[in-house]
Amino acid sequence: MTIFSAIGIAGTGATVHRKWLDAISDNIANINTARPSSEAAYQEKRVIAEAVDYGSGTGGVRVAGTALASSAEGRMVYEPDNALADAEGYVRYPDVDLGSQMSQMIMAQRGYQANLAVVDRARETYMAALRIGGGA
Amino acid sequence: MSVMGIEAVGARPVAATLPSLASLPTGAVGPLAGGAPAGPASGEDVASAFGAALTRGIASVEAAEKKADGLAVQAATGTLTDVHDYVIAANQAKLATELTVAVRNKAVEAFSEIMRLQA
Amino acid sequence: MFGDVTSVALRVAMSGLAARQRATADNVANIATPGFLAGRVQFEDSLRDAVRSGDVGRIASSGSTTSRSLEPTREDGNNVNLDTESISGTDTVLRYQLLTQAVTDRMSLLRTAMRTS
Repeated sequence: MTIFSAIGIAGTGATVHRKWLDAISDNIANINTARPSSEAAYQEKRVIAEAVDYGSGTGGVRVAGTALASSAEGRMVYEPDNALADAEGYVRYPDVDLGSQMSQMIMAQRGYQANLAVVDRARETYMAALRIGGGA
Repeated sequence: MSVMGIEAVGARPVAATLPSLASLPTGAVGPLAGGAPAGPASGEDVASAFGAALTRGIASVEAAEKKADGLAVQAATGTLTDVHDYVIAANQAKLATELTVAVRNKAVEAFSEIMRLQA
Repeated sequence: MFGDVTSVALRVAMSGLAARQRATADNVANIATPGFLAGRVQFEDSLRDAVRSGDVGRIASSGSTTSRSLEPTREDGNNVNLDTESISGTDTVLRYQLLTQAVTDRMSLLRTAMRTS
């Protein structure tokens, strides 16, 4: 652990928010990934955050795993010119909502910045402790 | 930082002037508290009481330094949980040292002054 | 004067922290290098054991070891994590300042004791 545990804990928070941002960027990148109707659609990835030793131990947060949020059926879109279209001309698109992804992205960014602000404050507190009795 | 020299050299001949030191209020001073006798006893008693007070002061300085050292080693090996513990202990050791050194220096000065008078 | 357990332990710890800072800089410089595994410096455990033994020679020779992190890698084989490195960097800097303060404090104690007026 770090010398000031607040810094280590904020570090775990920053990591989890970064992984959330990674998942969101993956979702947005694949928002128009078409697949043939015989396969499952691209499913929205979510990150499962879990508190570490809540109440008794070191504290902080970690990623317990990823979950798939949208349905496997996705949206069936009629595109007969698409190379992946089936016999009836349908292609499977992911059922990912861009608006929801954008708002999640803002939350992930703010969470990341908030954790870094904690690190800054903890560092200033530590420096103040080092200066006890100084100036003499 | 041995002050045995003060007791060994001339503490007896200068005892006549030491009663004035004994009547000074030393209660407020941490390491030397409890060193002043009730009233001006015989010169020898006062001299040895002062020597004992100074020795007590040095013992408490050593204790403070040892505590600060222990916390410094903890900081070095990464097992220190609270940084202010070390900083406060270091400051206490520094203040105790400065106080004891100041008392020692003044005592040596007073002694030299008196030796000059007698010589 | 400077060969006691505390002084030597402080010196060894400061060298270890300096090595850790170099490893962090190395990791951050190689954040996009394919196949690069993050470097990690350890010195605290061996220092703690040496201090417990009380042998100054053993403390002086307990240096730092650098190993490669075995955390999961991304597709390009690189496993350097920017948040971990920046937290580690901050932590190392703060520890180093605390140890510098400790060394300075001990020297000023000696200086105070040497004063004669």
